[in-house]
Amino acid sequence: MKRKNLLRVWIVLVACILALAAGIGIGSVMIFPADILGILGNKLFSLPLPAAVEASEVSIVWSIRFPRCLSAFLAGAALSASGTVMQSILRNPLASSYTLGVSSGASLGAAVVIVAGFTLPLAGALTLPLFGFVFGLGTVLAVIGFASRMDRGLENQTIILTGMVFSLFVNACMTLLSVLHQNYMQQLIRWQMGSFSGNSWEQVGILAVVMAAGVLYLCRFTRQMDMMTFGEEAARTMGVDTKRAKLKLIVAASLLTGTAVCFTGTVGFIDLIAPHVTRRVFGPAHKYVLPVSALFGGAFMVLADTLARTVLAPAELPVGAVTALIGAPFFAWVYFKGRGKA
Amino acid sequence: MKKRMGILAALFLAAGLTACGGNTAGNEESVSQAQTAESADVTRPQEDRAGNPITVPEEVDSIISLAPATTQILCDLGLADEIVAVDTNSPQYAEGLAEDVMQFDMMEPDLEQILNAQPDIIFVSNMSSQGGDDIFAGIREAGICVAEIPTSNTIEDVKKDVQFTADCVGKSEEGAALVEGMEAVIDEVSAIGQTMEEKKTVLFEISPVPYLYSFGTGVYLNEMIELIGAQNVLADQEGWLSVTEESAVAANPDVILTSDNFSNEDPVAEILGRAGWENVTAVKDGAVAYIDNAASSLPNHHIVDALKEMAKAVYPEEYAGLN
Repeated sequence: MKRKNLLRVWIVLVACILALAAGIGIGSVMIFPADILGILGNKLFSLPLPAAVEASEVSIVWSIRFPRCLSAFLAGAALSASGTVMQSILRNPLASSYTLGVSSGASLGAAVVIVAGFTLPLAGALTLPLFGFVFGLGTVLAVIGFASRMDRGLENQTIILTGMVFSLFVNACMTLLSVLHQNYMQQLIRWQMGSFSGNSWEQVGILAVVMAAGVLYLCRFTRQMDMMTFGEEAARTMGVDTKRAKLKLIVAASLLTGTAVCFTGTVGFIDLIAPHVTRRVFGPAHKYVLPVSALFGGAFMVLADTLARTVLAPAELPVGAVTALIGAPFFAWVYFKGRGKA
Repeated sequence: MKKRMGILAALFLAAGLTACGGNTAGNEESVSQAQTAESADVTRPQEDRAGNPITVPEEVDSIISLAPATTQILCDLGLADEIVAVDTNSPQYAEGLAEDVMQFDMMEPDLEQILNAQPDIIFVSNMSSQGGDDIFAGIREAGICVAEIPTSNTIEDVKKDVQFTADCVGKSEEGAALVEGMEAVIDEVSAIGQTMEEKKTVLFEISPVPYLYSFGTGVYLNEMIELIGAQNVLADQEGWLSVTEESAVAANPDVILTSDNFSNEDPVAEILGRAGWENVTAVKDGAVAYIDNAASSLPNHHIVDALKEMAKAVYPEEYAGLN
């Protein structure tokens, strides 16, 4: 089993590289692979640029397509890793940090910025992501704070229920705000649909740092997560401080989702299916499930985004719709393909 | 749960967009029917712009307008005092409305209040009837004239909208004057536009990156780009569309116009500073200009103001004499 899983990890890694290659190679503008390699070589290793390459192709590949692919990968990975953690510790196959109000909080934050129309001094372009992030994380913290007051043991049902209640409340605030300020409605809806377009290298940098730190941090808890999937009592008898572990993990996972959401809008679905697909193939051990579902989610998101911007090129589809459109059948296939034989 | 709602919302929106596209196509047919009816009866139209039969009252002195473009026409015809209610967007575009004019949600107008106001005529756009239901059926039954003006996609139709609105309120002559004013500007611009030997290419951004939104053929703004003697880089596309950033860069427009007035404080500076766009001709040459949002987005006689702005932005020298 172990050796088989290691081999599978390598397969997933190769798939990630292929997905990124496809994402960078394919676009609504046709650029030859050789030219793309030339451009990447020039930018990454200061090799001389091939003579046939036009300046506009350089900016398309290096300033638009590459950062877009990377941010899709990073966001997909962050969402999937956080989805895995939430599903495991809340012992609920439908849980995600969206259930705890990250996205509704972030949407409200974004709505406030859009409607009020203010920008932060010094970091103008970061105003919207920053507010989305703060509101998203704030909502989760409020949920946990409230849940732990109501229920000292911080049971899963309490957390999920509180999360639902808070999400609905925050959503209602958001609806109210958008009804009162209809002229911003279009902007708000677009933000909620999510897009990786226009993500710059600075944003990729921020995403990469948070993503790496977050996933590495979560990986330290894989053993506790394994034990917690047996149930909290069992985990407690095995010496896990479930309440503390739960708090730390929820905050870390929400941080990941919050960062991804604030740069890309609320792209759904991936955080739900990536952990399930990975568990189906790799078994329940979090040592594998957590990093692999991050990789799988990243690769999947890159492909979804590539489709979103190429299928109807030069027109663009909302990536959130694409993830569900190709994700749902894929999920059904992976989940049910073994059924017939058994 | 939440994310499924999000996906649903996205799908609904997509469905809504295609539905809109379908609607407009249907409207064009009915529009041509309406036109024949109009030429038969000069002053009081018997069909509205959507092709529904209407009976316009002889005496109109109490009007409701649920479309900013129409409100603007009515105000320019000097009827601001007779408007008793408008949609919530109208006040920011039209001048001279009473401070305390009633305001309705364009998508969900309060029908009870409308009936209670007892207007002689109510102008609506197809925004209010999206989804197929005739939400004004009750008002029609109450004997109030409901004149629907679907959002027009050609300059010719915009002219007819202006004339139709004026005819409905008994100001046919004044309406004709507004249309003549439009035609004068259009003739002046196209006379110069036709002489352009090398057509500059134009990208017209309705909304900027990351939700880049523009249009191809079948939109009056595209006609306007052609009138000034330029070419839309998306001329091979049809209708409104969101564009991928890279295809916009690859199209390499000579000039970029933007009517975005809500995403950035300075939309022109945002375009000039965009990462990855530094090699686009328009950005290199600094040929980026803001076109008045109201004038370019409301389909009425003010589109010629946008036309003049566009002409001067794309060909500053050739149109220097235009005022």
